Amino acid sequence: MMGELIVRNLLHRPLRTLIGVMAVAVEVALVVLIVGLTSGLLTETAKRIEGIGADIMLQPPAASIFLGFSGSPMPIKIGGKLAELKYVQAVAPALLQFNSTGGVDVVYGIDRDSFRTVSGGFVFLEGHDMEGPDDLLVDDWAAKAKHIKVGDTYNLLNHDWHVAAIIEHGKGARLFVPLATLQDLVGARDKASIFLIKCTRPEHTEDVMDQIRHDLPGYTVRPLKDFLSLMTSTNIPGLQTFINAMIALAISIGLLVIFLTMYTTVIERTRDIGVLKSLGADQSFIVRALLTESAALCVFGILAGVGLSYAVRAAFLAGFPTLSILITPGWILRAAGIALAGAIFGASYPAWMASRKDAVEALSYD
Amino acid sequence: MGIAATIRAPAEGLFFQGKKSVEPILKTENLWKLYRAGKVDVPALRGVNFEVQPGESVAVMGPSGCGKSSLLYVIGGLAQASRGKVLVDGNDLTSLSDAARTKLRRHKIGFVFQRFNLLPTLTAKGNIAIAQFIHGDGFDPHRFEVVTQMLGLAGRLHHKPSELSGGEQQRVAIARAIINEPKILLADEPTGNLDSKNSEVVLQMLRQLNKDLGQTIVMITHNPEATTYFDRVVHMRDGIIVDGVPAD
Repeated sequence: MMGELIVRNLLHRPLRTLIGVMAVAVEVALVVLIVGLTSGLLTETAKRIEGIGADIMLQPPAASIFLGFSGSPMPIKIGGKLAELKYVQAVAPALLQFNSTGGVDVVYGIDRDSFRTVSGGFVFLEGHDMEGPDDLLVDDWAAKAKHIKVGDTYNLLNHDWHVAAIIEHGKGARLFVPLATLQDLVGARDKASIFLIKCTRPEHTEDVMDQIRHDLPGYTVRPLKDFLSLMTSTNIPGLQTFINAMIALAISIGLLVIFLTMYTTVIERTRDIGVLKSLGADQSFIVRALLTESAALCVFGILAGVGLSYAVRAAFLAGFPTLSILITPGWILRAAGIALAGAIFGASYPAWMASRKDAVEALSYD
Repeated sequence: MGIAATIRAPAEGLFFQGKKSVEPILKTENLWKLYRAGKVDVPALRGVNFEVQPGESVAVMGPSGCGKSSLLYVIGGLAQASRGKVLVDGNDLTSLSDAARTKLRRHKIGFVFQRFNLLPTLTAKGNIAIAQFIHGDGFDPHRFEVVTQMLGLAGRLHHKPSELSGGEQQRVAIARAIINEPKILLADEPTGNLDSKNSEVVLQMLRQLNKDLGQTIVMITHNPEATTYFDRVVHMRDGIIVDGVPAD
């Protein structure tokens, strides 16, 4: 009976119900998408870096795990020293350059041969490896997003490049150019942003890292297999605060709309509340009815919000194929829990107000 | 100090053959009800003494503002008395908390209002069933069928209040009020919003409930003709009962 009462009440004012549902849907979608976008980008970036195939990455002192934002590059001759270390099979220098023209990218300047040794080489979907100084390798996702084909001329960093190949994604960057050309282009001759190190065996990684720490104190040494665990929002300064602020904003939207919806509901149903009291409904019945109604509205909002999240993700990915939005069951459940708690909290005052209404006054309400 | 007036007891054997009881089902003693208007207390009831026997039907008449509705709300436990006693089936409402009065109302009182007061979102069936739900014993299909058949609602149960005539709405309200077999049915001008034909139907049904099922009824009315359906008529004025005479 309570279920019938709630469903019929929700259907009685379809527009108001729809607004409430949409508010919760937006709340849920905001939480799911903001977290999905940040964690998706971080995870995808980390997977690409792990996918290079090296065992260790060396960066300058105090370097960020966001590779494109790292500071002054290191002398290329460090690579020679690294190659002499015990258990080191190969060392590949790379100069990383942040590019914001035509999208946000980190361009890898690589030495073709050493990068191939360290990473095991690219998988070529079309075209051939770097041969000339202006050859550009583009991964399949970037090629799709930027509509690039093999043989095209592509302007990057104010330089015209010849698209030599479309490669399979997952090897660190989406755009690769010859190291020497990039060094000249950005004025970093004989410099490298990172060194990728391949050990003779993976179990020698710790030994090699210890040697590097000893020989190059202060430099940042990271095992690539741990990159995924490092790429979290808590490790990025300010990111977690931003996410929390966005979640708080989303909760506020849902809470305020639910509050307003239930408040107007209670005012509109003043007489009905008086009737229920005349029938012997106690305060807990009134509170339960309104909170359950709010929760039911919220459940519809959660379902709509999950659908909206997937729809927005599909739309984003259609427009921006290089984006990665990670929608996880864990965060859907968390967003649902947050929305449900917000809906119950938002409806609490109106429900309490309704339960305290004087029955006689309520019955004479017009 | 209020003016108390005790209604005249009905002549033995005249109205309640076979129904006489040693204990009244409803009794008020020096009942006062004050409403706060700004800084002034306005008395709505000023020392009402009133008794209703089980199975009796009583009509309360009086001009607007004489305290009829206040009396109904206080004896129904919807409003708290300011002074005096209200005994419903032996329970003193004035000594009960709001929660206890609500519980007593749930089990012993049924209300019928002038404006029907059906829940607009529910069907006729839902409006009746919700009373059973609140009562706590769940839906009793047999009782439901008996009541709806008796009130001629069988074909209208799936309609919402907005799809029912005034007479039908009031019959649904009566069904809702009696579905849990309350000790007392309190009706606040139940024919006030009805035309004469529907008024007669509703009054006949109330009389049928009283005569056939022994339902105790207290009804407020402005309509002198309506009182002819009741065992006894009580007149109120200025918050007191001025007399209590058997109906013709």
